[in-house]
Amino acid sequence: MEAVITGLFVGIFFGFVLQRGRFCMNSAFRDVLLLKDNTLLKAVGIALLVELFGFAIMDMTGAIAINPKPFWWGANILGSFVFGVGMVLAGGCASGITYRVGEGMIGAITAVLGLSIGGYITAAGFLKGFKSSLQEATIIKTADGANLTLANVLGMNYSTLALIIFVVAVVAWIIVARKNKEDYDGAAGWSWLSTGVLIGLAGIFAFPLSAAAGRNYPLGITAGWIGVVKNILGKAEGLDWLSWMVLGIMVGSFVAAMIAKEFKFRMPSVGDLLKTFGGGLLMGFGAVTSGGCNIGHLLSGVPQLSLGSILAGISIILGSWATSYLIFVRPNK
Amino acid sequence: MTEITPTKTLDVCGKICPYPDMNTMTTLKKMKKGEILEVLLDYPLSVERIPRNLKKQGHKLLATEQIDGPNHRMLIEAHGLK
Repeated sequence: MEAVITGLFVGIFFGFVLQRGRFCMNSAFRDVLLLKDNTLLKAVGIALLVELFGFAIMDMTGAIAINPKPFWWGANILGSFVFGVGMVLAGGCASGITYRVGEGMIGAITAVLGLSIGGYITAAGFLKGFKSSLQEATIIKTADGANLTLANVLGMNYSTLALIIFVVAVVAWIIVARKNKEDYDGAAGWSWLSTGVLIGLAGIFAFPLSAAAGRNYPLGITAGWIGVVKNILGKAEGLDWLSWMVLGIMVGSFVAAMIAKEFKFRMPSVGDLLKTFGGGLLMGFGAVTSGGCNIGHLLSGVPQLSLGSILAGISIILGSWATSYLIFVRPNK
Repeated sequence: MTEITPTKTLDVCGKICPYPDMNTMTTLKKMKKGEILEVLLDYPLSVERIPRNLKKQGHKLLATEQIDGPNHRMLIEAHGLK
């Protein structure tokens, strides 16, 4: 029961912020390449910094125990690159397509369907063997069997290193921002700063609440959808914390879209529907192979300084840039 | 603003990022200086993002009109430089 309430609570908050902040990592990475616009990328950066600080303090005080994802370089590179390719086709990252369902976008529903099916067949279906052998063949751990993080590679305490990175990054950011004299031209959505802070807070709330429900990790998307599929197929009984969180995202974004009068059923062409579905399939395969989507790896794993998550994050960005170039830049040259 | 007659109309309703933005930019690129592009869109993120990009490309946003809910209509004057 607790998992239902806290999962839904975090999901609704997260979904509300995603919709109002127009937070989408797919757009964040692509805009930098195509439109030379880094507004959303700055929101991602702020969210990571807020989490870095929050996780460090919580780990230090014992409120949480960080649980970084494994470093399996082959699976991280291949899976996350494929995920990056898929999210451009699907028109959104894992969190992006999930919150857009709540805005009434039919193309997002087919993308989520693809993500769930692609994720399920890689986690428990015919691609399971491939995924597991790639992960096992390329896994590297520390001498005492821990998952690699920046902290244990450098032989440092996690909280100490996290706080050092936090302070250095904040100071560097302020210096660069002052030099460039950036100003934000207002939009109906929230500014990148408030969006980033609130997304970061969602991650901070999620960690201890999810741990209390027996899942010691902050946010994620793909595994939550796979949980929904397992329930539909009768392979699992009852939804876990993450599945409730994912369902909460759609409730939160629906409420936010209704308040802003932005809810509308939007039906793209059949070709677009097929493309978002195919993109979703690639995302599901990629996320499960790599051990996480953009939320599990980038938003949740990078602030834990997991080397696997950092490598996955870079691969997601490269996959998205390569695809954006082929689809949007080259044809217009 | 309704008195302005657009040279061309681009309907990107139902499309999500980055299509509304990209289609608008590539259409504008092919238009001559002073021609007016009317864009119909229903994607909130693009309604906010297109004006930012227009500024960078030198095109002029004449008006943004909210029709109802997320449905918007934009009128843009092309810069005309290829």
